[in-house]
Amino acid sequence: METSFLAAVNVSILAMAVIFTVLTVLIFTIQGLVKLIPYQAPPPAPSRRQTASSAGDDQDNHAAVITAVLAMHMGKSPNEFRIVNISQR
Amino acid sequence: MEFSFGASASKILTTTGFSSLESGHIIMILVSCVLVYLAIWKKFEPLLLLPMGFGCLLANIPMSMMAYTDSGGLLNFFYQGITHEILPPLIFLGVGALTDFGPLLANPTTLLLGAAAQVGVYVTLIGAVLLGFNMHEASAIGIIGGADGPTSIFIASKLAPHLLAPIAVAAYSYMSLVPLIQPPIMKLLTTEKERKIKMAQLKPISQTVKILFPVVVTIVCCLMLPGVTPLLGMLMLGNLFRESGVTARLHETAETHLINIVTILLALAVGSSMTASSFLRLETLKIIALGLLAFCIATIGGMVFGKIMCKMTGGRVNPLIGSAGVSAVPMAARVSQKVGADADPSNFLLMHAMGPNVAGVIGSAVAAGVFISLFGDTVPEPHAAIADAIGTIEPGAKAAIAQVVEAIQQNH
Repeated sequence: METSFLAAVNVSILAMAVIFTVLTVLIFTIQGLVKLIPYQAPPPAPSRRQTASSAGDDQDNHAAVITAVLAMHMGKSPNEFRIVNISQR
Repeated sequence: MEFSFGASASKILTTTGFSSLESGHIIMILVSCVLVYLAIWKKFEPLLLLPMGFGCLLANIPMSMMAYTDSGGLLNFFYQGITHEILPPLIFLGVGALTDFGPLLANPTTLLLGAAAQVGVYVTLIGAVLLGFNMHEASAIGIIGGADGPTSIFIASKLAPHLLAPIAVAAYSYMSLVPLIQPPIMKLLTTEKERKIKMAQLKPISQTVKILFPVVVTIVCCLMLPGVTPLLGMLMLGNLFRESGVTARLHETAETHLINIVTILLALAVGSSMTASSFLRLETLKIIALGLLAFCIATIGGMVFGKIMCKMTGGRVNPLIGSAGVSAVPMAARVSQKVGADADPSNFLLMHAMGPNVAGVIGSAVAAGVFISLFGDTVPEPHAAIADAIGTIEPGAKAAIAQVVEAIQQNH
């Protein structure tokens, strides 16, 4: 029993030494990698600016809605008049 | 062909399971029901304990041909996946695909916490030897302290296949009990002030480093400990699927369908090994007691090293993250977070604890590699003689022959 106990203690000490050695090698390897290849922040995403075409689409939508409401209010067909310009104040 | 009612009825009666039911079967059926109960109603590792418990139930139905020893039976085929070391590495492939090593890469010194927690493995090994187990068996029992189910199964199937069932049950049961086992030890070993330590935010890591990491670990660790290649190699391959960004389909399969299928096969196979003859022994009680010791000592090892790191860094490391070094991903990291948040609700330790947690997976795999290097190829003298006579044989068969030789020696 004493021999087995001593063998187990020896194995434990040896194994812990191996584990610490392997993982220490890994730590230095990772640190080397991180130093060699540093993190670079990705370029900032382009800001959402309204393009001319999307502004045009919005204006068409507004014109269609205003035409429909006016036609209903005046009791006329939407084909009888035309909105030619919408200007912002 | 003539049929008499009496003879036919008698034949049917003798072919029912009841006719062969023994007390061992009944006890094991009750054990399987307890496992199913714990899985469903107590939520103890249900993904594993449920199929494992049901596999145990199937294996203990007499004449069902579902025990792992029933050659030609369904679960015997599943068990070949353990015997031939197929299923645990495949689980590791899935685990690798699920794991983000980012926190570890951001703070690589936490690998030492994963190493320190392995002290549980070796204290348990010494304890097992003192309780009368041989070195192969003690190594397989000690690895329970690694808190890693597939690693425990892998080592048990290699070094002590006759103890596979109790080792697997102890490993998974205690893994599910981590939230109960660890907090009292963590609180006992730390002061309120230490638990309130807030750690600096982790720095981001380049994607290229994340891609190179699995390749580098495979080269470094597997060259040092080739025996661990099936486990660590698969873990790192799964992680490479995840990080490379070019194998989305393989990554998705590995982290979902594959790991789920393999979990079912593995748990059923382990359950099928829980027969009365292999489980209802004094050794099982010893293994369950040693498993608890392994988890407690592993937690203490991680905590003590966490405290050392805390002192050495001038209080920049919260020692609570040390307990996560026991593997049991991600539950041990969650426990660190919870105990830290109990002391200070504004303290967020989860990401910091994930570093030592995944380091624990690597640490326990390395510990397994050390055992394989020391005992994997060594065989008792008569065993070697048989191997010479019949040529190169498989590791599983080697272990089986070793058992036979041991039994013959005991009879003499």
